[in-house]
Amino acid sequence: MAEVHVIGQIMGATGFSESSLFCKWGVHTGAAWKLLSGVREGQTQVDTPQVGDMAYWSHPIDLHFATKGLQGWPRLHLQVWSQDSFGRCQLAGYGFCHVPSSPGTHQLDCPTWRPLGSWREQLARAFVGGGPQLLHGDAIYSGADRYRLHTVAGGTVHLELGLLLRHFDRYGVEC
Amino acid sequence: MVSENPHLGSQPEPLQEDSDTRPLSMTSRRGPRSLPPIPAASRTGFAEFSMRERMREKLQAARSKAESTLLQEIPTPRPRRLQSPSEKELETEFGTEPGEEVRRTQQEDDSQSHSRVKFRDSIQKIKSKPPVPPGFPSAEEAYNFFTFNFDPEPEESEEKPKAKNKDGTTQEEEEGEEEEPPAQGIQKMGEDELLSAEAEDLLWGLGHTAEDLVAVRPADYESVHVRLQMEKELLFVPSRLTVPTYKKLPENVQPRFLEDEGLYIGARPDVPRTCQNIVENRLLRQEPGGRWFGDDGRILALPNPIKLVPSRPPMLPQERGVKAELETLYKKAVKYVHRSQHMIGSGDSPGNFQLDVDISGLIFTHHPCFSREHVLAAKLAQLYDQYLARHQRNKAKFLTDKLQALRNAVQTGLNPAKTHKSLDTTQKTINEYKSEIRQTRKLRDAEQEKDRTLLKTIIKVWKEMKSLREFQRFTNTPLKLVLRKEKVDQKADEEAYEAEIQAEISELLEECMEEHEQKMEEYRAAYQEWKAWKKAQRAKKKKKKQAVEEQPEDEIEEPYPGEEPVKPVPPEPTYRALLEQQVRERAARSRRRPGEPTLVPELSLAGSVTPNEQCPRVEVLRREDVKRRSIYLKVIFNDKEVSRTDSRPLGADFRVHFGQIFNLQIFNWPESLTLQVYETVGHSGTTLLAEVFLPIPETTIVTGRAPIEEVEFSSNQLVTLDHEGVGSGIPFSFEADGSNQLILMTSGKVSNSVAWAIGENGVPLIPPLSQQNIGFRSALKKADAISSIGTSGLTDLKKLAKWAAESKLDPNDPNNAPLMQLISVATSGESYVPDFFRLEQLQQEFNFVSDEELNRSKRFRLLCLRSQEVPEFRNYKQIPAYDREIMEKVFQDYEKRLRDRNVIETKDHIDTHRAIVAKYLQQVRESVINRFLIAKHHFLLSDLVVEEEVPSISSERSGILGLSLFKLAEQKRPLRPRRKGRKKVTAQNLSDGDIKVLVNIIRAYDIPVRKPTASKFQQPSRSSRTFSEKRAASPTTHSPTHSADYPLGQVLVRPFVEVSFQRMICHTTTAEGPNPSWNEELELPFRAPNGDYSTASLQSVKDDVFINIFDEVLYDVLEDDRERGSGIHTRIERHWLGCVKIPFSTIYFQAKIDGTFKIDIPPVLLGYSKEQSMIIERGFDSVRSLSEGSYITLFITTEPQLVPGESVREKELVARYVSLIPFLPDTVSFAGICGLWCTSDQFLDLLAGDEEEHAVLLCNYFLFLGKKAWLVVGSAIPEGPTAYVLTREQSHYLIWNPCSGHFYGQFDTFCPLKSVGCLVGPDNIWFNIQRHDSPLRINFDVTKPKLWKSFFSRSLPYPGLSSVQPEELIYQHTDKAAAAELQDRIEKILKEKIMDWRPRHLTRWNRYCTSALRHLLPLLERSLGEDVEDDHSGELLRQLGDYRFSGFPLHMPYSELKPLIEAVYSTGVHNIDVPNVEFALAVYIHPYPKNVLSVWIYVASLIRNRY
Repeated sequence: MAEVHVIGQIMGATGFSESSLFCKWGVHTGAAWKLLSGVREGQTQVDTPQVGDMAYWSHPIDLHFATKGLQGWPRLHLQVWSQDSFGRCQLAGYGFCHVPSSPGTHQLDCPTWRPLGSWREQLARAFVGGGPQLLHGDAIYSGADRYRLHTVAGGTVHLELGLLLRHFDRYGVEC
Repeated sequence: MVSENPHLGSQPEPLQEDSDTRPLSMTSRRGPRSLPPIPAASRTGFAEFSMRERMREKLQAARSKAESTLLQEIPTPRPRRLQSPSEKELETEFGTEPGEEVRRTQQEDDSQSHSRVKFRDSIQKIKSKPPVPPGFPSAEEAYNFFTFNFDPEPEESEEKPKAKNKDGTTQEEEEGEEEEPPAQGIQKMGEDELLSAEAEDLLWGLGHTAEDLVAVRPADYESVHVRLQMEKELLFVPSRLTVPTYKKLPENVQPRFLEDEGLYIGARPDVPRTCQNIVENRLLRQEPGGRWFGDDGRILALPNPIKLVPSRPPMLPQERGVKAELETLYKKAVKYVHRSQHMIGSGDSPGNFQLDVDISGLIFTHHPCFSREHVLAAKLAQLYDQYLARHQRNKAKFLTDKLQALRNAVQTGLNPAKTHKSLDTTQKTINEYKSEIRQTRKLRDAEQEKDRTLLKTIIKVWKEMKSLREFQRFTNTPLKLVLRKEKVDQKADEEAYEAEIQAEISELLEECMEEHEQKMEEYRAAYQEWKAWKKAQRAKKKKKKQAVEEQPEDEIEEPYPGEEPVKPVPPEPTYRALLEQQVRERAARSRRRPGEPTLVPELSLAGSVTPNEQCPRVEVLRREDVKRRSIYLKVIFNDKEVSRTDSRPLGADFRVHFGQIFNLQIFNWPESLTLQVYETVGHSGTTLLAEVFLPIPETTIVTGRAPIEEVEFSSNQLVTLDHEGVGSGIPFSFEADGSNQLILMTSGKVSNSVAWAIGENGVPLIPPLSQQNIGFRSALKKADAISSIGTSGLTDLKKLAKWAAESKLDPNDPNNAPLMQLISVATSGESYVPDFFRLEQLQQEFNFVSDEELNRSKRFRLLCLRSQEVPEFRNYKQIPAYDREIMEKVFQDYEKRLRDRNVIETKDHIDTHRAIVAKYLQQVRESVINRFLIAKHHFLLSDLVVEEEVPSISSERSGILGLSLFKLAEQKRPLRPRRKGRKKVTAQNLSDGDIKVLVNIIRAYDIPVRKPTASKFQQPSRSSRTFSEKRAASPTTHSPTHSADYPLGQVLVRPFVEVSFQRMICHTTTAEGPNPSWNEELELPFRAPNGDYSTASLQSVKDDVFINIFDEVLYDVLEDDRERGSGIHTRIERHWLGCVKIPFSTIYFQAKIDGTFKIDIPPVLLGYSKEQSMIIERGFDSVRSLSEGSYITLFITTEPQLVPGESVREKELVARYVSLIPFLPDTVSFAGICGLWCTSDQFLDLLAGDEEEHAVLLCNYFLFLGKKAWLVVGSAIPEGPTAYVLTREQSHYLIWNPCSGHFYGQFDTFCPLKSVGCLVGPDNIWFNIQRHDSPLRINFDVTKPKLWKSFFSRSLPYPGLSSVQPEELIYQHTDKAAAAELQDRIEKILKEKIMDWRPRHLTRWNRYCTSALRHLLPLLERSLGEDVEDDHSGELLRQLGDYRFSGFPLHMPYSELKPLIEAVYSTGVHNIDVPNVEFALAVYIHPYPKNVLSVWIYVASLIRNRY
């Protein structure tokens, strides 16, 4: 019956070659977790950096979980998308990171990647946009033969998450 | 440089040696070789600098000679590296620069070099001190400079002495490497000499010329041949020819070939032969003694280190070898589509999936048109199929083999020589085997018997068929059964048979013996027991006898009869003969007799069917009937027909071949897939024969891999036919006497296959599993058990599994492998193979708490409910941190609501029907709201971003700059003020008091005026117009002659307006006369329910703004006339005249309400009448002539302006009946969500609806009455967007407000309908395309295409749509008794309420008046509220002449109690606090059909006249 508050924000992203970026995010938990309030998933606005190359979203995340176990600690899935000048969206990177497990404020950097695709696809991506996307989103976090997937590094998504834990000590979890 | 290097030639020999002995170091030094010429330029600068430095030093040295000698004594380490530069130089030049080489060879000439040295020496001697121009280096210095390695500064001190070595002696010294110490002395001397010379040099003068230093010489040249010759001598070019082996090996050694000797030699690296030869040659020459060669005379080499296979995995092409879950899909960049779900997992599905349904054909196993022969044929075919299936499985054989194997095992087990196991275990296994043998034998016998019976049945049916064919003398089916006899070797067979029987007998015998043994054992034990008992008994008896003798009185203790053991009977031994007989019997029954040939039935379609001509008429009829029939299948996907097969005629063999594949493009996981079998008979129509439910294929089944499956279907239709056909569901018989009746139902099999299609890139087009929600998954699971194995297989499998468990099948036997697999499938629980494994297996172990405990937590529950926005907890602010702080009662309301969801509470509603309706509405509301709660979280850009409009440059004010300039010059109060748009406030940051409702009361027209108080005995003058007059509108003047009668000479009426909203009251000042003008602004605060200022909450505010018009009456209460001069004592009374009710939702959605409203004035206002005369004077003639009510001009808005939610509208009425149906705006029910249009029957059932429902119902009534009527969709005041009804009378149009039942002429100024958007007729819709939309100014002639654009036109003709409305409405009579009861209850409740509202006063009820009023109310209802005033008030006055009273009837449709109470409250009757006031209240309910109730409430206050 421990509780976890995840309060923070998706600060923004750096290192992407594309400029107008937005991020779809989602928090997944194991079966032992129950979302008491807050939204599990969302999407940021599209940010076009004017100064510097960091896209700032400052997108709030506020979740309150109750859990009956440690397993399935919340984890964040991110998808960074870019919007081109025609308003079309294409994938810029997949990212994944665990929500920290110690209380306090944490600065997280979540590197991202995207599938490379065949040379044709790369060419098409360079000229007409679009790009290969995973058919099954699970591959972002499942370990199944990932080495077969050829990917390219995307940029990094920066997160700032504050963790509040409650009653974990009751169940012998020190934090 | 060349000229300056002659001395170098003095040691070519050691050099040569050097290069020979160190070939490798040579190569390593190749780098610096090319360096020297390049940095020359930079070095000169440095040289210059160091030169001066040295000069200075020398000068200094000269000055202090004496000391310097001492100083020089200090031994300086001889710089060793001096040699290295020269050596290096030489080395580097070796063999690479031919020019140098040539020169070098020349220098080798000793004499020459010697002469040169000499020459130089001589020069030095002649010009002992060569004059050096200041700042320039001398030749020696220059030489030294170039040959020197200029090392970092600290070594300069070392350089110094060397720099001064000029003579040949010192040079030699330098060359002689290790001989420094002995040479030291000489050097010192030289140095001293040198130093002094130099000093002299410097002191001596500067007058030397260039000739002294330069010698002109011809260019050295060696001819090419010479040079080549010299090169040849110097250089070694290895040969490319193969080196003979003996050269490479030590002498007298034969080459050894290790490989030949059998030793392993790895593959040598691949080097071209020529390269090897060159290397070998070079090595032989360069390093003859080196061990470069192996025993075989080849260069030593390690095995080739390069692996044949690259260890780095190759970059696989993307297309191949990628796992399905890692698959990527190239997606085009797309515009962002606003989806309801934009989530990671769900958003990724490509969206179109495909299910291939292959319907290959259909076979009837029974059909009504089957002839008897067909029935038999079908049976035969079925049996044959069964036979084939059994034959293929051949279980009997399998069991026989097993039996054999077991017997063998027992045999070997019995042989003790072979077993090494302990006797115990052997015995045990043997026992197990034996029991197994028994089981197997039984099974085998059963199987064999079955086989045999089946064969017998087949033969029997075939015989029947044959006899039938003979009997009817024609053949219908081509079926033909051939029994093939397979001869067997009689002798061997007999032997085997006999052996088998013997074996069985012996086994049985053994078994029986064992059994017998066991039984004997038991018997013995029992017998012993019995004996013992007997003995005891006997002893007892003896005792007893004695006892009886002793005490005869004692009762004899009876032994319990039940306990007496029966004397056991010894078991009978078994006899072999008997056993044998049994065994033989059984064998004869179930087994082929020995020597009997094996019968193999073969069914073929080789037979011929009798042609039609030869058949009797009935049969011909049947065949024709069959021909007329055709079959098609519909494919039903998720209960929707998606496609159908072609209609195919039914073949004579009752098979239909379709062979069609349907590709179903789907988006979601399918829920059901059904085939419907339809039969068409001739042209008469189709009948649905049966439905076939197809299983949804597993995700692994893709097109091409799916097997064709046969799914059975059957129908329960009853068909009787008048020909040979046996019909369906009808008993028939094969026998002549009609016995053995059979009833067959139409049935058959559809052969089909369902599979997932494969996309272009080989990806199965299967919806992601996530789409299969929970409920559906279970459905799938259910379907699966049946689908994957088949219904019939299911039971078999279970049996099989059971049998497998019992028979201890050897799981390792490869024969059993498929069986074991099948069994494991069957036993793993309900034949459902889970296609998952549990990831978090240890979840349970690691849990802190159980689920129950988690769910029990009140805090969590509260948090969840709050976040789910459950109404009770929606705005719950703070939730306690601990469970114990949360009261259980927090949930009470919520739980009660959940509990009561299905309980109908009649308490609040009085009338059951309405209670049900209210409940229903509540549920609809809940479900709609829940659905939209999710949608509500969707925001448009405008919801999130408040964007101030950028002032446009093209606007009339020129540009931004101009704008600000103009602003300065702007008038503070312009003559023509321009309306400025108010800033809209989104409803989130608001709190109580932030929002105000502004009501601007401007003026009113035609307020009723007072009538003089008439006494009981006076007949009232007919001062008021009759209603019949109102259309005539005769301007008959009723001069206010009686105005003198008014107390205190008051004017006709002194109206003021009171606005009440949410029980807050504001009123204007009092004006005078029937057409007052107030022009006042009233401000009322607005409170949102629960302090929730969200859009949804504001939309659902049900409060109304009541605008009540009162007459302020002043009564002189001075009882003593004497005081009149000195004081005024009046009492103010207010009399309600009428009201306008505007729902807040209207204000909210309209943002403002501006217009003239008709005041809702009760049909009877005691003491008041309408005054006409005043209006004429004001020139309102035209207006007045059209109106017959009182009007008030208002402007209502909210401050600040609220942004309304997206949609919706409000209310109205119809003709009487329709208007009596309570109005319930959609807005209130479904806050800001959507408008729902009910059909008329739903509307009547619900008895609540908004203007659309009212209008539709009214319009339908009008149409039924034969009138021309249209639905007008437009906007009106105060409802906003609404629906009215337009009817066409002879010459003019009437506009009906369906919610109030009022009607207006088209040109009525006060018609609330302000704009007309479109007209809806029974068969078309017309849109207003005229310049104006006000009903006053438009033409309603819809036939003019220029004015009305019709929806259905020539290009899109009216397709004859069927109406959604029911054909007819059914009306029930309303229970009058219930109405009467309701009436009483309402009256009672209202009376109580009025008393409650007057807490500080005594409320007296005037019974007399009440009863009078009660009598009057039905009259009002009968006359529809019109035309009664005179009689009515006359009567009242007659009865209550002594009272001054004010009162009025209220009329409302009945919905529930609350609105009635509110209406009474808003009239303010209870506010009179005259001490002797009395009240009267009467309620009348008139029931209309369908539970529509018209409620009349008559409220009056009475004050007894004092005179």
